[in-house]
Amino acid sequence: MKSALPQLDPLLHQPVRTRIVAFLSGRGEATFNELKRALSITDGNLGAHLGKLVEAELVASHEDAANARPQTVFALTRRGRGALATYVAQLSSLVQLSAEVPATSLRAPRKRALR
Amino acid sequence: MSHARLELESIQSMLYAGHRSVHLDRHSLLLMGGIGGLLAGFTECVVNAQRFPNVTQHAVALLVWLSVWLGGMCVADHWLTRRARANRDETLPFAQGQITRAWWMLLAMGTLGSFAMFFYGGGAMIYALWIVLLGLGIYLFGLFSRSLIEWIGVATILLGVTGLAAGLGYDALHWLAASCFAIGMPLAGWLDARCINAPWPRRALALVTWIALVAGLPLGLARQFLVVPPTAAPTLLANADMAARGERVVRLAAGTPVAFRLDLDGPVLQLLPNNGLTMSLSEPIDIVLRDGAPDGRYRAGDGEWHSIRDGSMDLRIDRLQARIEQGEPIVRAHAVLGKQPPTGAAR
Repeated sequence: MKSALPQLDPLLHQPVRTRIVAFLSGRGEATFNELKRALSITDGNLGAHLGKLVEAELVASHEDAANARPQTVFALTRRGRGALATYVAQLSSLVQLSAEVPATSLRAPRKRALR
Repeated sequence: MSHARLELESIQSMLYAGHRSVHLDRHSLLLMGGIGGLLAGFTECVVNAQRFPNVTQHAVALLVWLSVWLGGMCVADHWLTRRARANRDETLPFAQGQITRAWWMLLAMGTLGSFAMFFYGGGAMIYALWIVLLGLGIYLFGLFSRSLIEWIGVATILLGVTGLAAGLGYDALHWLAASCFAIGMPLAGWLDARCINAPWPRRALALVTWIALVAGLPLGLARQFLVVPPTAAPTLLANADMAARGERVVRLAAGTPVAFRLDLDGPVLQLLPNNGLTMSLSEPIDIVLRDGAPDGRYRAGDGEWHSIRDGSMDLRIDRLQARIEQGEPIVRAHAVLGKQPPTGAAR
């Protein structure tokens, strides 16, 4: 059986960034503080990862001036949604591949090698 | 490979957290619960048939009363929620905005239902309707919030439906509705805050506590205080001193004729003088008089004491037909007074 392993997006294949993108996908938009509470990480860590996602145009930020205190709000871009969907599809195919490979086929070569 | 599965589970968990981001603030629960409880408990003291003897005026007064209070509550809640969110540097999730609109729609439906009952009947179940609408509102919030709120929403709906199906009296449903708002909403917020990420047995215990406090209190009060058995011994109507002050119990013997006066209004028919039905009692009834006037308590035979407002006595018209019989127009109605099952299916 020949199956090419999918090439995972290096930007999303990082636990904090994956969680940021997944949370924004479910919630729609969130402020820096909301993201910090949801992910339980430090300001510096979150800022660095958000910066990379904004730079890659997977996440966009805008100022919400509807209230007396303007807020910076982050949301996924169309590109970000697409990237998450592709990443989830790639992970799913990896999980399927692991299910297709029988456990015995992994052990068999070792037995032969011992003989 | 198991790393991919873990990664997918992590994404699933964050998506779930994002979807379930709706949160009812404490001020919302206190405002909705307080005003809802106040309206359920005391509206009839302010907007009643004594103040508004005309049915249309009564209906309009109730519509205005409910609209002003509930409309004001919605505006105040919206403003306070936006301010609180901005102070905490949070956004209002899209789902919460949509559910808040659905909540306003439910309140509007309840208000219009209360108004419509004056013209289309159904007043006996108006508090049950309000309980069900409140439950729907809480359930909707719960779908996008934590699961305990969702469970409480379902429990509230079931309280309204079960109360009506079990034949709870008007007064009991009245106080149950007040309790669902005034006790139920703040209590739901308080319990929910203590059950964040709690295992399901603890959430189930919180739900049982909520039901016990919200339903037990008004039902216990309704049972304890609304029908107090009189202490006086019954005397026959013929021997009773009707001018006597204080509490008296009068026994109406089986076979006593009872005039049933109908006060019907309609655009095409009018009542002739001396109309009415003459009925007779099929078993003795004791009624309580206070200062010579019935106070609403009664019992059939030696059975339990009831209040006329506890749901045991209602009039249900299940058949109405207009016919020409032997050359004369006749309107036949079949009605049941009390909790007897109807003798025939409605045609």
